[in-house]
Amino acid sequence: MTLEVKELTGGYGQVSVLKKETFTVESGQVVGLIGLNGAGKSTTIKHIIGLLTPRGGQILIDGISLHDDVEKYRKKIAYVPEMPILYPELTLKEHIDLTIMAYDLDHDKTWANANELLKTFRLDNKLDWFPQNFSKGMKQKVMIVCAFMTDASLFIIDEPFTGLDPLAVNDLLNIVEAKKKAGCSVLMSTHVLATVQNHADKFVLINHGQVRADGTLDQLKAKFDMQPDANLDDIYIKMSNEDL
Amino acid sequence: MLKLWNERLRRHQLNQFKYLRLIFNDNFVLAFIVLIGALGFWYSNLLGTIHHTLVFGKPIVIILLFLAVQVGGIATLLEEPDSTFLLVKEKEFYKYFRAAKNYSSFMPVVTLALVNFLLSAFASRGAGLKIIDIIAIAIGLIVYKLAFLNVNLMEIYDRAHFGSISMRLASNILLLVALAISTYFFSWTMLIVAVVYYFYLNAQVRTLETSGQLQWKLAIETEDQRMFRIKRFYNLFTDVPGVNSKIRRRKWLDGLLTPIKPVSSNTYLYLFARGFVRNNEYIGLFLRLTIIQAIMLALIDNFYISLIVEMLFIYLVGFQLKPYFKEVMQNLMQRLYPISGKTKIADFTKLSTTILSIQWIISALAILYKFGLSMNSLIIIVAGLAVLIFVNYFYMPRQLKKYLD
Repeated sequence: MTLEVKELTGGYGQVSVLKKETFTVESGQVVGLIGLNGAGKSTTIKHIIGLLTPRGGQILIDGISLHDDVEKYRKKIAYVPEMPILYPELTLKEHIDLTIMAYDLDHDKTWANANELLKTFRLDNKLDWFPQNFSKGMKQKVMIVCAFMTDASLFIIDEPFTGLDPLAVNDLLNIVEAKKKAGCSVLMSTHVLATVQNHADKFVLINHGQVRADGTLDQLKAKFDMQPDANLDDIYIKMSNEDL
Repeated sequence: MLKLWNERLRRHQLNQFKYLRLIFNDNFVLAFIVLIGALGFWYSNLLGTIHHTLVFGKPIVIILLFLAVQVGGIATLLEEPDSTFLLVKEKEFYKYFRAAKNYSSFMPVVTLALVNFLLSAFASRGAGLKIIDIIAIAIGLIVYKLAFLNVNLMEIYDRAHFGSISMRLASNILLLVALAISTYFFSWTMLIVAVVYYFYLNAQVRTLETSGQLQWKLAIETEDQRMFRIKRFYNLFTDVPGVNSKIRRRKWLDGLLTPIKPVSSNTYLYLFARGFVRNNEYIGLFLRLTIIQAIMLALIDNFYISLIVEMLFIYLVGFQLKPYFKEVMQNLMQRLYPISGKTKIADFTKLSTTILSIQWIISALAILYKFGLSMNSLIIIVAGLAVLIFVNYFYMPRQLKKYLD
């Protein structure tokens, strides 16, 4: 699986938030999307999953765009939004069934995956609950289960760590690691730099809707002219100070 | 503080106006006129059958007037953030509430005047009251209601009790007793009691300005609930943002859902059907309208009115289902599913066809009960079926398309 974002320009309404963004996510790669509030991380993600239409440029997954084949494109992606979005009238079990139906997945195989994930996140005894009974963190876990039980090849997670307890953060990182080993790619936007620094292969730094720099931690250090012991936090602060 | 009140009132009224305009659209006005007409027809028929004073005439008048007094409370227009941002201004809120009380007296006064006016025909025929009695009681009730608004105000200061008895309960008992004495013995009792009570409560309320302690949480919750009731009412006719209706599991209805096979093409039918039976708002709307329609059809023996009721109510239920589709379409996750908009609309139409068919069968039974096996019955039932087909196969698909994105 390869995701290619080429010269992407776009945003909401008439305002262009993104200006000619270009980056790629390769097979088996975990990529961190990093930037200040309002830099354009979520907007980039919304373009990739197809909720916004680019004004310019191209987004290709394995060489096809949303325009070429909507169904094929959508089936390759699993998405965990920043704020959990659930159906108030469906139970947890029905959310899983609905996802299976919507993506036309193999019922038994997917349920086997789901059960494992539910157990990991300690939701396996809450199958008959409604979203209104879940806390924010539990809702987030439901979203993660529904995304990671599918056979998508690109996982896009927006701010996955906020609201999760430390145990769940650890579990999620393990799941991401497993998906990576299976050859899938993961794109995650986050502000929790210490965590992403240890778990991502590559970072895309976004500032003012443009890719300021991308690469591994060592490549970034070189680009920003930093000491060898610098971490992602230092680089981030240096990038933010460039505006001043 | 008065400035704040006036500002809020202006915004509130603009909002109300916006919703009222949406409610009083062509469809509703039509339904409303028919409903008023049917009720008026029934009422005048009823009055025609009363030739002498009824034993239960006075109790009915007392109960209806008692209920009419319960309509309307104080609208404080408080908002959630007030308890954080305006906490320091607590003392000045008294003036704000005085203004709120004055504004809030309008609705109850109009309601009471209207109810008394409509009831006067029955009160004089069925309960044997004279016009002067009716007027005296009506004025008494209005003064009483103005007094009672003070109780609402004292409640949010947690001062509405005589010892351990709640003022609300005590006031209602006083009202019932005064009403009973007025209708049976001396009609001026209500007015005299109301005036005394009015002065007493006004004096009580004045002490709040210096010594009252506002119960913020209670006050805001009360206002929230009041707003919720209004919005829920508006929501019957148009969609109001921020009204989250109650969801219930209703496991016993799962049997109805089993025919929907869990295959990809049924994804949305699966979702819509579950949402419909569990969301109080939509199933409630369907039940209310279906039951009202069935009762009207079973009672009215005028062919033309029955024909209109049959067609209109089937159309109304179909029309009111549209916001449910819109609500689901606003869920971001479902927009990512690899399923076409055409399938979404087709699945929704399956649901609406089922719902309207159930309504149609129930209404047909009511018609057969009233008109028997006759040409009239047949015409009305077939007209209902025509509306059903029109709504599901012509009206819905076109209307739903605009909600897809």
